[in-house]
Amino acid sequence: MSIVTENPRGTCVLGGVNNVLSAISRVCPIYHSGPGCCMQTTAGEAGQAGLRAPFFLSSVSTPCSNMLEREVVFGGESKLRDEIDGALEIIDADAYFILTGCTAGIIGDDIASVTQEYRGRGLPVYPITTPGFAGDSLLGYETAFQALLDHIVEPAVEKDGSLVNILGIVPYHDPQWAGTLEELSRIFRRLGLRVNTFFTEDQGIEHVRSSASAALNIIVSPWLLKGVAERYREQFGVPYLRFPALPVGVSLTSALVRQVGDALGLDGSLVERVVYEEEKYVYNYYESIIGGLSWKRFAVVADASAAVGVTRFLANDYSFTPVVTIVTDPMYRDEDRERITEQITSLEYAKAPDVHFLSDHYDIREKLREYDGITLLVGSSLEQEIALELGIQCHVMAFPVSDRLFLNRTYSGYRGSLTLVEDLFNNL
Amino acid sequence: MPRTYSGIRESRPHTYNDLGGESVRIAEDFQGERLCGADRTFSQGLQCQQINSIAAVLSLEESAFIIHSPQGCSGCVSMGADGYRVGQAHRGVKLIKSPRVIVTNLDQNDIIMGGEAKLREAVGLAVKRYSPKIIFILTSCASGIIGDDVDAIAADLQPGLDAILTPIHCDGFKSKICASGFDAAFIAIRKYLLPDEPGPREDGLVNLFAPTSISYKDQLEIERMLGLLGARVNYIPFYSSLEKIRAIPSAQASTSICKVFADEFMKELDESYGIPFAHTVMPIGVRNTDKWFLGIAELLGKGELAREYVESEHARVLPQLEGIRKRLSGKRVFICGGTGRSFAAAALIDDFGMELVGLETPTYDFDAQIDIEYLNGIHTNYVVDVANMQPFEQVNLVNSLKPDLFIGVPSWSARLGVPTTHVLDPKRATMGYDGILYLGNKIADQLENPGFNRKLAPYARLPYKKTWYESDPFKFIKNT
Repeated sequence: MSIVTENPRGTCVLGGVNNVLSAISRVCPIYHSGPGCCMQTTAGEAGQAGLRAPFFLSSVSTPCSNMLEREVVFGGESKLRDEIDGALEIIDADAYFILTGCTAGIIGDDIASVTQEYRGRGLPVYPITTPGFAGDSLLGYETAFQALLDHIVEPAVEKDGSLVNILGIVPYHDPQWAGTLEELSRIFRRLGLRVNTFFTEDQGIEHVRSSASAALNIIVSPWLLKGVAERYREQFGVPYLRFPALPVGVSLTSALVRQVGDALGLDGSLVERVVYEEEKYVYNYYESIIGGLSWKRFAVVADASAAVGVTRFLANDYSFTPVVTIVTDPMYRDEDRERITEQITSLEYAKAPDVHFLSDHYDIREKLREYDGITLLVGSSLEQEIALELGIQCHVMAFPVSDRLFLNRTYSGYRGSLTLVEDLFNNL
Repeated sequence: MPRTYSGIRESRPHTYNDLGGESVRIAEDFQGERLCGADRTFSQGLQCQQINSIAAVLSLEESAFIIHSPQGCSGCVSMGADGYRVGQAHRGVKLIKSPRVIVTNLDQNDIIMGGEAKLREAVGLAVKRYSPKIIFILTSCASGIIGDDVDAIAADLQPGLDAILTPIHCDGFKSKICASGFDAAFIAIRKYLLPDEPGPREDGLVNLFAPTSISYKDQLEIERMLGLLGARVNYIPFYSSLEKIRAIPSAQASTSICKVFADEFMKELDESYGIPFAHTVMPIGVRNTDKWFLGIAELLGKGELAREYVESEHARVLPQLEGIRKRLSGKRVFICGGTGRSFAAAALIDDFGMELVGLETPTYDFDAQIDIEYLNGIHTNYVVDVANMQPFEQVNLVNSLKPDLFIGVPSWSARLGVPTTHVLDPKRATMGYDGILYLGNKIADQLENPGFNRKLAPYARLPYKKTWYESDPFKFIKNT
């Protein structure tokens, strides 16, 4: 189900699947689609998530059958076989995934059979059915992991009690995905853990293949990957812990660290030592800027994970006043909305902000107009317009980000919150 | 568009998109009509025509844009929207707006049942929210294959609306040549926004058609140059309006600053309204700037005046080129670009005495032949790759040709360690006579200081197998 939307925040299933595949080292997506889908999905996802382009294959370097009228009428399977043969010949990848655009989806090309022929010859070619009309890029993120579970993940021969998988942070869609995964990896390593992110440090298809040996899946998202988390648990025996926010700042990050410690039965004194040292590191800096960042009444417009994380950080840790938080993910399960609302409204000292679930750019702008006295708007590049109009400081961090460059910057974890405070400072 | 023109560039005779080889042989084969239709059995993603259609109209004032498609087809709107915001900033707009883009978000049900209800809803939202003067409706692969009759729906909705509903038929699968999308946009403008009968002719009014990649600085320079001829410029379609579009048929003449932008539309204006046009080149470099300026000047009966100006500009600028020539003469260059800019860059490097070793351009046709023949008169046999990007061929060629400099989108060649630069600069002036100095100095500075690319290359992760670099770059191009 999907609804007519002004300036939607994200592309289609194909885009979401491609986000995942293009972030795994040495994986080759092959589009079986019309011309343009490669560019549209890269421009609409990575291009709006802090402007980093996937380094291996992206946009116009992605192999694509570029289906034209002839294929639409007569079918495109033979063109697809040529395309796969070419990709196998020249692209130096460990796995090749065939993704379908609307064109192939509507005419019904059978990519499962085509890829089966290649696997029969021992070649790592896999199908993922991804016509754009099936849904948005967040559904695509889930679809990609379902496909990895179908084709790549192997049952663990032996469990590794110190290995964890971090999931729920969408590469090339969460603008700070790389920095966040790096900061979380740094923190978990201090607990003596090894970390699979699949998307950083050149991790590749082998990390995905052996991911069932992990002791825990840490899902950093209030709602994504429900089915994937349960399938990992039931089919592969990997339990999961859902942390319902980007862990921005001390309170959220320490809560995450303690939950992971509990779930894995880690030495409590080690966990508390890490928490103390990390918190001390942050507070020693805060101590030097007391009063430096003036008080704000703030609004947040962001995807669910960032909306919870930023609202809680600014309210609980920085003593700013929350006014309204707008969650922009299109979502359809009541339980998800309830979990997210509860996270945004159950604050330590501050009065809870209003919470709205809106995906349409016009509706978002009109909603913000209803609130007086907002002095800080944390949102996406789309919010610049209303902020200019209302004369509010606008801080861009949520998807889509088209006017800032993000490399390894993150606002998550302990150190990330220092970066957020640096960036929020505005002398005017 | 001669009304029979479908907007699909492949339908024009002798148009080739998949071709590679030595420049002299290709020109001879084209001349002798020995080129065959061909296709790449392996290819990388293209730019679909919808991307060009939306780019063409996105900055029009008081307009709304409905993309009748699943959500993904709005991906490239972000690039156009970014350009629109930057363009507003350059034009001194304080309250910078996003373009009003509504996506019908076709889903599984709509694919089966048809997307008419959502299209009607989207039109209703556009009207209610923005009261636009024009509502463009852009079609997609999905809406085209399922057979939504967008024209009929628009015709049914039109009575009672102030906004003019303007469907643009830009289904991606209909064409391999993204410039078809420009034609689709102009066909829609002609059909829905222009009157059948021309109004009174306005002496000195010139339609100037310019694609989205033209910077505001370039616009100002081109308008200034045309002003020297006594012309007033109707700059279309960027940051333009319904009023300016409606003034198109009143113009005395038309010209374009890109070879594949509005060329068919200018023919149509000639046939429908008797407006003569100059279809020449992109005014980058001495030769092209001369050619472009004299082309439009002759049409306006100001040839004499223009020649005087050109001479005085030559006297001013050419001596300044000497210093740049000393830095660049004899350097070997590989160029990749869109149709207009690739040939413009190739002509430009002659101003600096550089040698062309490779040229990548999206389409080969009669227009390209004119440029290739001109270039063949200057450079000895260079490689021509007729490709819309296709980075796999590009890295193969650049790796074996080892040019001193690559001009074009640098994403791949930079990783081979080759110095790179670009003549496309949407934020600065590149056109006209001063643009030559700017570009010359930019090219020389970037060629002389290749540290970034050189240091990056050992760590770069290009995806190709070693064996590919030793293969025939055109091995996947097969006659059909």
